[in-house]
Amino acid sequence: MKKAIWKSLVVVMTSVFLFSCSKSTTTVVAPLSATTVKDLPADTIIGITPQGQPFGTGKFTFYSLEKNTIIANSDSATTKWDLAFNGTKILTNSGNSGSGLGGAFIQIGLFEELKTISSDSVFKTDNGPSSYAVTFGSGRGWYTYDPIKNLVTPLAGRVLVIRTASGKYAKVEIIAYYKGGATLAATAPDAEKISKQRYYTFRYIFQPNGTRNF
Amino acid sequence: MNFSKDSLGLYSDTVFVTANKSERKVKNISVPISMITGKSIVQAGNTRLADVLREQNGITMTSGFGAGVQLQGLNPDYTIILIDGEPLIGRTAGVLDLNRIAVGNIKKIEIVKGPSSSLYGSEAMAGVINIITDKKNTDALSANIRYGSYNTKDGNISISKRVNKLHAQTFYNYYSTDGFSVRPNSNNRFITPIARTTFTQNIQYKFTDKTSIDGSVRYNTENIKSIIAVANNGTTIYSNGNENNNDLNGSIVVNHKFSDKIKTKLNTYYTQFKSKQDLLTVSGNPYNDLFQQNFKRIEDQTEWKINASLNSIIGFGWITENVNSSRYDNIDSAKTNNIQYAFNQWEWNNGKKWVANAGFRFDKNQNFASAFSPKFSLMYKVNTQLRFKLSAGRGFKAPDFRQLYLNFTNAAAGSYSVFGAVEAQKVINRLMDLGQIGNLFSNFYQLKKLEPEYATGIHVSAEWEPNQSNEIQVQFFRNDINNLIDVQQVGNYISGSQIYSYLNIKNAFTTGFEIETKQKFAKGWTSAIGYQFLITGDKDQIASIKSGTVYTKNDNGTSRLLKLSDYVGLPNTSKHRLQAKLNYENTKGFYANIRAIYRSKWAVANTNGNEVFDEGDQFGAGYITLNYSMGKPLKKGWAIQAGIDNINNYMDGLNLPNLAGRTFYMTLKYSTQK
Repeated sequence: MKKAIWKSLVVVMTSVFLFSCSKSTTTVVAPLSATTVKDLPADTIIGITPQGQPFGTGKFTFYSLEKNTIIANSDSATTKWDLAFNGTKILTNSGNSGSGLGGAFIQIGLFEELKTISSDSVFKTDNGPSSYAVTFGSGRGWYTYDPIKNLVTPLAGRVLVIRTASGKYAKVEIIAYYKGGATLAATAPDAEKISKQRYYTFRYIFQPNGTRNF
Repeated sequence: MNFSKDSLGLYSDTVFVTANKSERKVKNISVPISMITGKSIVQAGNTRLADVLREQNGITMTSGFGAGVQLQGLNPDYTIILIDGEPLIGRTAGVLDLNRIAVGNIKKIEIVKGPSSSLYGSEAMAGVINIITDKKNTDALSANIRYGSYNTKDGNISISKRVNKLHAQTFYNYYSTDGFSVRPNSNNRFITPIARTTFTQNIQYKFTDKTSIDGSVRYNTENIKSIIAVANNGTTIYSNGNENNNDLNGSIVVNHKFSDKIKTKLNTYYTQFKSKQDLLTVSGNPYNDLFQQNFKRIEDQTEWKINASLNSIIGFGWITENVNSSRYDNIDSAKTNNIQYAFNQWEWNNGKKWVANAGFRFDKNQNFASAFSPKFSLMYKVNTQLRFKLSAGRGFKAPDFRQLYLNFTNAAAGSYSVFGAVEAQKVINRLMDLGQIGNLFSNFYQLKKLEPEYATGIHVSAEWEPNQSNEIQVQFFRNDINNLIDVQQVGNYISGSQIYSYLNIKNAFTTGFEIETKQKFAKGWTSAIGYQFLITGDKDQIASIKSGTVYTKNDNGTSRLLKLSDYVGLPNTSKHRLQAKLNYENTKGFYANIRAIYRSKWAVANTNGNEVFDEGDQFGAGYITLNYSMGKPLKKGWAIQAGIDNINNYMDGLNLPNLAGRTFYMTLKYSTQK
């Protein structure tokens, strides 16, 4: 945290320095700051089957990173949304999920340290149900699921590198899968694990200028 | 040397069998050992083996699948448990529940630390715990009954009888408890209602001074009634469970002395473990689980005293093991493993400053790779007060049947499957043909014949007895474990559910030191203090952390690089362990003792989004328990004892399900012998 403050301070100071010394420069890019989305519901639990499986309505929650807002389900066929959430599944507006220019891949590393998406990166597109750009499954994409403790934990050091519906770029880090923005304790009661799951908290940076730099 | 009987007596003439697989005096043994006398077990008021070991230095009791023993930071899988030299079987997920063993007829417990596979084969990787039963050769009868909190009843009867050349000992134990609950009147009991019965019969017949035969049978049965909560994707379903475990052991040993120099021991041993679990859910769905293991062994061991200072033991044997389990592909088809082995040990002791011992064992296994286990130890006696020991050896643990043959799908929790290494490729390829497999990971293609897990252990110790009232032992240890078998995800079903199997992939270490001191004061007071410092780690994980590819979560859910200083090593291991005991005994036989046990925190679950255990994960909190007991002989062979276990009433139902709250008990004893 301290380090992050220090870093932003350095950036600000540098900009001030640049601005004051070279009046001839045309534009100064304001540093992009991260946006945090808290408790985004993703088909929350509405009941439990007689076999004991909790279930929701089956609908996705569509989200626009560009506009930082939820998109109505009636617009699911449009390019208004960038990501869609249902349980632990995340869709991109690409392939057979949507008509947009979307795509994604998961990079192992730190959110802050991803400054440029390297030019040789390969963005995957959705080809459900066999494969998704944001890899689906425990330990493979952005989370692990412990069937004994019945708990979904976001993996540390995973950055979801996203190409939006309009072909621009964003980076996303999932913070939590439970309401309140924190992973529940393994000891939390089962009822709480059911009622609080499928609420995403994540932070992201969207680059509106179309470059691969953040 | 007139040391307190409770102490090891480093220079004592007490006989110790486990270290050399033959009777030797404690003072001549060149590997680290410890010994618990029957008297100290009785005075501590312990009734189950788990209670006894919990109070020993360097030993931690773990609590998944019963009470398992962790020796020098190594899992319960890696310590072999023997009764009179014969191995016990019946492990669940590698853990042998030491609550199954009653301690009412124990003469002593011998513990050898460090790899001892050179004599005992598989499982003797961390060490050996050998329970020596009391085989009195006089006529005697003793009985005791005990009653304690949670309606816990314990009763023992021991009879020994001598008729000419025939000696016989009978032992019977009954134990039952209602269990206890942190929330009184709740169904969630930590120790569930249990009833256990143990029956042991030993017979020895001495044909001549040169030839004797020794037969023994032990039967142990336990019934556990429980209300089990199965969490099914978040919904908890309660079931009434009934678990029945039986173990039967029988051995016939023929001893024959050919001459003063050569003697042989022919040993046949059979043991069976049978476990049956019936669950009935509230909605009436039955779930049955059956497991049966048979172990047959024939072994011959010949000892040759070549001259006054050189001695050799040569042995060979054959083991056949069968397992039937409802968790394998077919309950009716037994899985079999045959092992042929041979061992050889050389001891050199000229009665002066040096004692040396070297040996090896070779195990040829039918279902997995062969194992070679060498061992070497050396002792140097500086003088009558001080001596040093150095030992190095390699131990192994064979892959168990579960790791080879498991075929289990947990329909109750997420429908994940675990397949044993022998079955995995076959089963998964068949599922593939049926279109059930979503995808396979690269490690699926690495599945192959499992190899035994190996540990190389080095122990260096110093033992010092400056005078008759003090002794101190310091021991450094390091165990490097290779080829650890770990359960790994190898693929997914179409539905996304995980498929797991077993691979030899991990490399780990445990290292640290142990200090043990014993003091004798005036007027019957004695004390003992033990401390263990332990560091453990997974070598591959440490390498990943050093190369900067392991991350962790900050409190706010964002990620950062994991520092090596945050790494805590293997789960369930505590850095510090301390125990202290103060004992008083007067000449009239009255005794009182107080024992304190401390264990520092240990990692229990990985909760912060990486595969390694670090400071951000879930821990069991460090704790202290205090136990007290006192007793007094009455007239005409009667005696009473009373005590309180866990005086401070420390409870942690989640991480220490086997630790009962404050327990009061009282025992009444009768014995024809003093």
